[in-house]
Amino acid sequence: MAQDSTCTPTLAAKPPERPFYPNGNIALGYNTPGVRHTDSAVPLHRGEPVVHDYACDGPAPGSLSFRWTYGSNVAAKNRDPRVQVVQYNEDTFVLRQNVCVHWEAPFTYLLFGNAGALLIDTGATTDARHYPLRETVDAIVTRWCQARGRTSIPLTVALTSGEDIAQNQGLVQFAGRPATTVVPKPLAVMKQFYGLGSSWPSGTGRIDLGDRVIEVIPTPGSHKDGVSFYDPYCDLLFTGDLLFPGKINIGNDRDFLASLERLRDFAASKPVKWLLGGHVEMMFVPGRYYPRFATYKPYERVLEMTPDLIDEAIVHARAVQGKDMMLIRPDFVLFNGVSPDQKTKVWPEGVPKIDAPHPF
Amino acid sequence: MDRRTFLAHNAAIAAVPLTGAALTAATDTAAAATRPAPIDFHSDLPAPGAFPKRWICGSSSCMDNTDPPVQVHWYNPHTAILRQNKAYSYEAPFAPLYFGNDRVLLLDEGYVQLRNDCDYRTAVDQCIDEWCRRNRRDPASLELLVAFTHLHADHYAATNQFADRPNTRCMGLTHEEMVGFWGMTNYPEQRVALDLGGREILIWGSPGHVVSEFAYYDSYTQILYTGDMFYRGRCYISFWQPWFDSMKRLIDFCNTHPVTHVMGCHVEISKDGQDYAYGMTWQPDEAPVEMTVQQLREAYAHAQKITEPGIYFTGTVFLCNQTRGTTTIDRNPYRYD
Repeated sequence: MAQDSTCTPTLAAKPPERPFYPNGNIALGYNTPGVRHTDSAVPLHRGEPVVHDYACDGPAPGSLSFRWTYGSNVAAKNRDPRVQVVQYNEDTFVLRQNVCVHWEAPFTYLLFGNAGALLIDTGATTDARHYPLRETVDAIVTRWCQARGRTSIPLTVALTSGEDIAQNQGLVQFAGRPATTVVPKPLAVMKQFYGLGSSWPSGTGRIDLGDRVIEVIPTPGSHKDGVSFYDPYCDLLFTGDLLFPGKINIGNDRDFLASLERLRDFAASKPVKWLLGGHVEMMFVPGRYYPRFATYKPYERVLEMTPDLIDEAIVHARAVQGKDMMLIRPDFVLFNGVSPDQKTKVWPEGVPKIDAPHPF
Repeated sequence: MDRRTFLAHNAAIAAVPLTGAALTAATDTAAAATRPAPIDFHSDLPAPGAFPKRWICGSSSCMDNTDPPVQVHWYNPHTAILRQNKAYSYEAPFAPLYFGNDRVLLLDEGYVQLRNDCDYRTAVDQCIDEWCRRNRRDPASLELLVAFTHLHADHYAATNQFADRPNTRCMGLTHEEMVGFWGMTNYPEQRVALDLGGREILIWGSPGHVVSEFAYYDSYTQILYTGDMFYRGRCYISFWQPWFDSMKRLIDFCNTHPVTHVMGCHVEISKDGQDYAYGMTWQPDEAPVEMTVQQLREAYAHAQKITEPGIYFTGTVFLCNQTRGTTTIDRNPYRYD
């Protein structure tokens, strides 16, 4: 029987049908780009350190499909790991600080190359008993070295912003660590270190990890000494506090917009799979976010952002430029010149307004 | 049967042990025979007492907090002040527990509902046991009144933990039940007296922060407990005129009655007047909870000049006149030109 079209309700936001392959998709072939970059089959008796081939077509495979620890209703009773370690692939680790150790719950990234390792950001807590970042990093490094037949690897510790106390507090734990370079904090010295003394903020710096060259892109805006890091192996862009799924407190709106535009141009010239920021504060429903100091965030959005969000951020950074206001978007919220606890009744047009379930 | 009678009815039944009425009567008379002379709450007023130099005020890492979920401070032998731990609830409300010869009054129950998560009930039971041990009394002979200052969840969330407690009456969670609990018929002007057994608590309406709020005055310690309507922090004033009238009522009361301390439910300011933002779980340099009558008068004098919505600092408290619920004063510290 032909259905009367007037009776069919319009489903405005019906998600597209996604194909489902319970037994795998044969059309993809057996050797997808990047499979050769998983070197699990290392020789049993190695005579020399394994040299990994970081050249690859497309992003190196990796997975973030693990739920982040999200605190607990009563913070004092939380027993989750203080540092959650998620292995993205064999040379890339994502670390998260427990929400009940510090509400900022920053993400920290550890990348390995053939000649060095890079730690991006250091967390929000100084005390190693509460937040054993150094101990965790040391354990990962040791294990990685064992797998690669090495005794040690030099470590560089860099920050997406030297002044951000949600990311620089763990730095003191690395004082005196052997074979460790800490990127100096004051802006002028940091520019020199990256070789950006005369070309800040338009140039880019490099951190060579051995066949894996991390690019350093100056991105002031949230912080005046903000930088982003690009990893050409996994095609990840680490954006720190500049762009992350949360409440973005703009430090200077002109710099913020300029940095986003610089980031867009950069992303246009290089393949970018995901942006990984320093925090998650949004919920998994659009436009909703957790308040400051929350120690229980059971409905967090995922960490990764797609690169098209740079364009969206640019559009809305223009909208808030020169105005003291906040602006809600599905994946982030911009705060320009207002209190970090500012609220607004303005809801973005066309975005469904959904309440996340209230935890008991 | 309405809810209030129902609760009272249950409490009356629970007070009678199941061993038989005759036996109970016998033990009652025996208890009465051994019951010590009632405590005198009327001479040498105000009763001396002291607030702690420093309250437990959270920790830099919440999951490493080893303090008790509820801090108990004995202001004097017949008055305990409870404070919830910041790592269990950032609201960390203060709650007095007043003992009389016949009943105990608990004002405010904290912000955590489940006994599993934060055992408010046991903390209160332990206080009552301790007081009874000191005064050679049977805890079962004391009635517990579980009331709260106003109708916000950070002040009544744990009320249900007392639902199965014998000889206990709980305030209901509606305006009508609250007003009815104290037997008021002319809220907020009417001032009623609650007799805890030789110890009188004066209660009257104090709307402004919310519609349903009371001020409590203990005639023994002469502490005026003002709830969230006036406390050392950000007083969120939802309704200006009722709040102003309530302030007037407090000032009038202070003019006619001796008041030793004015005490609110929270502290959100450091000793040097710096604001602790809404939701913080660590306030290392917290100001004391108690305030003076002079500070109340200064705030009232300051309030008389306020005509517009906004945030005003009186020197002691922030008056957040008709700003939204969780206003904070701080700015983004990383702004630059």
